[in-house]
Amino acid sequence: MSRLQGPSSLKRKQPDSNSPLDSLSEQERVVYNVIKSKQDLGIWSKDLKRETKLLDNMFGKCIKTLQSKKLIKEVATKNKGRKHLMAAEFEPSKEITGGNWYLDGNLDTEFINLLKDQCVKLIYKMKVATLEGISDTIRRSGIFKVEFTSQQIEEIVRALVLDNEIVEVKSNGMEEFDCIPIGKVCYKCASKGGKAEPRIGAMASIPCGVCPRISVCAPDGVISPKTCIYYEKWLDF
Amino acid sequence: MVTQYGIKFAVHLITSHFGNLVSKVCDNLLRRGPLTLQLLIRFTELTPLQVKNSLLILIQHNCVQAFSTEHIGAGGNEVKVTQYLALFDNILHRLRFPKFLAIVSQELDKDCEEIFEGLIQHGRLTLEQISDRAESSAKTGGKPSSGGPAVRDAVREGFHKLLNSRFVERCPAPEPFLEPPSEPKSSNKRGAKSKLAGASETEEQRILASAAPIEALRFSLLTTSGTDLDAEKDGTGSSVGEKRKHAAVDSDEEFGSKDKEVVLWRVNFEEFIRCLRHKACMENVRARLDDGAAIVLKAVLDATRSAEQKVKTETSVPLLMNTIFEEVMKNEAGRSLTLDRVRASLIQLGCPSAMRGTDETYSIDLKKIIELAQNEEVESIVLKRYGRDAYRMFRLLSKAGQLLETDKIADMTFVEKKETPNILYKLWQDEYLHMEKLVVSSARQFSFMLWKVNKPILWEHVLDEMYHAALNLNQRLIYEQEQKELYAIQQGTPTGSTEKDRLRNAKIYLHSSLVKLDDALMLFHDF
Repeated sequence: MSRLQGPSSLKRKQPDSNSPLDSLSEQERVVYNVIKSKQDLGIWSKDLKRETKLLDNMFGKCIKTLQSKKLIKEVATKNKGRKHLMAAEFEPSKEITGGNWYLDGNLDTEFINLLKDQCVKLIYKMKVATLEGISDTIRRSGIFKVEFTSQQIEEIVRALVLDNEIVEVKSNGMEEFDCIPIGKVCYKCASKGGKAEPRIGAMASIPCGVCPRISVCAPDGVISPKTCIYYEKWLDF
Repeated sequence: MVTQYGIKFAVHLITSHFGNLVSKVCDNLLRRGPLTLQLLIRFTELTPLQVKNSLLILIQHNCVQAFSTEHIGAGGNEVKVTQYLALFDNILHRLRFPKFLAIVSQELDKDCEEIFEGLIQHGRLTLEQISDRAESSAKTGGKPSSGGPAVRDAVREGFHKLLNSRFVERCPAPEPFLEPPSEPKSSNKRGAKSKLAGASETEEQRILASAAPIEALRFSLLTTSGTDLDAEKDGTGSSVGEKRKHAAVDSDEEFGSKDKEVVLWRVNFEEFIRCLRHKACMENVRARLDDGAAIVLKAVLDATRSAEQKVKTETSVPLLMNTIFEEVMKNEAGRSLTLDRVRASLIQLGCPSAMRGTDETYSIDLKKIIELAQNEEVESIVLKRYGRDAYRMFRLLSKAGQLLETDKIADMTFVEKKETPNILYKLWQDEYLHMEKLVVSSARQFSFMLWKVNKPILWEHVLDEMYHAALNLNQRLIYEQEQKELYAIQQGTPTGSTEKDRLRNAKIYLHSSLVKLDDALMLFHDF
């Protein structure tokens, strides 16, 4: 499913006959086996230590040796700051990297926003679009070097709905929905002018609506509407 | 239930309209619930006369309803006790008088507007008093053509129009007798029915229901000549008449002689709130969908208005396609719409697409429209206060309507996994989210955080914050006014100065914000 990896079985290399494995000490072998058994999930170093029940210095030595022999590697995960280990022949699974949208353990926001922008522009041009329509057009446009699965596009479109940049509508088979079957879920831009901010309500457009200290504000309190700095700024024309 | 800041705001309104004494009485009634005169005197520590006068003012302006109940007295006799109930909604409606007046002047003529203005100013008036007011204002206005009878005719005509539009109504009984709630006696059937309706009636609702005039009389003058309402005395029978006499005891000075039957009239708030609710629905639909959908919605609301039993009508009465189309054609803008276009708009409005044919009917889910408008209001607060990531998370949880786990929320909203719990925690701290901790213990203990938007609780919280904000706007408005006066004293002739301009702009800004915020208050409390 992922653009980064195929089924894990394909990636497993057969170790060579005279592999560094043979030269491992008993402790090193234990550590290696535990790491390897976790396959593409890998293991957090602290968990590994608990499982192998080795002493600190011994544990550190084992890891160093295994790493120098390139039998294991450290991988970046969504839980930054944690030392995560994996047998060299595996690629980190989606579950630990955070999935398709992660790059070296970081959410690839730049890439996501780029894709989001393209989707909005596309939907705006198409007036109404189905999920398949969006997927197809993106594929054909060639803007992105990578191929997206329809699930990835769906995730992006859903996020755009949450952003209130596009809205979900059902086709009624008329006018703009002309060539879309009745009842099919489509997407269209929320505002007539393409990208737009959500409407700001009555409460959100006054200082009290966005005030983080409203719970401690009282008529004659330390924070009061008479002395409020937000009001001062708001009413300073 | 009225929230803390709701009460504070209501008391503030009463203070600014009627002064400190009246607001003290009102404050006690709002905080403690219905009270007798004796208890009110004790709690307020005012003199009996002060409390009595305050109550009279509040009753006159429809902010308090008296009622009597029976208690077993010391000697084992049944004693009738009078209690007073503050009407929170009616107090808040005082803020909306300009909006009500605008509706009247839009839909009816100048005469009606003047009569209506009188009712707003005085709370309750007899037809006689309304006529007198018109006559004296005609005299001072110096209209040459307007003699006494002509003015009275115009008033009668205007008053009829107001009654027909249901903008005014007969006042409720001054002191209805409240039967003790007969729960053990009530049959199973009724119990089942009240359970179906959701919450059982509150005491306030029971009191208001028992005070309300019978529907047939509510909007009826029941008189041939118009000037004397004696004919109506026989018609009403004793039930209404007798109760009304209690008011006469309190207020005979104000309303004329004791033995003459007095019919008092007041503004029918319910109708205005209905109008404003319809307007709010239309505005929301226009912004969210398009003009066509708003026109169709207006047509359906106009056609079903008479069938609406209460303000918070959930769905419009099912209408035949032909009826809707005819109604749409009555509107000038609607004439450009085709039958297919109307049908498409109805589907856009969320009507289940009914069978095509001669008897296809449509009913619009008004509750849904109101809910969407409420969501939008709260979401925009979240966006402004907590940022776009929080906005996306909040919308996800609000739509899901169920508990979701932190990591799942991060995935679906494209927010960094480390950042997600912080944002959710902030929302939870400010009572915008509900949180549950789930601990799974196997070899190791895992704990998950689950999050959810609990709408009923959150809506009440937001409403309370809005009352707080409205109170703040009002207080700042008073403060700016004081500054202005202070400035005028200091400067002597400050014409053309920038500070004066700033103060004027500030006042306009604050005032228009309050008008808008009041729309939001109605959206959450009255619609």
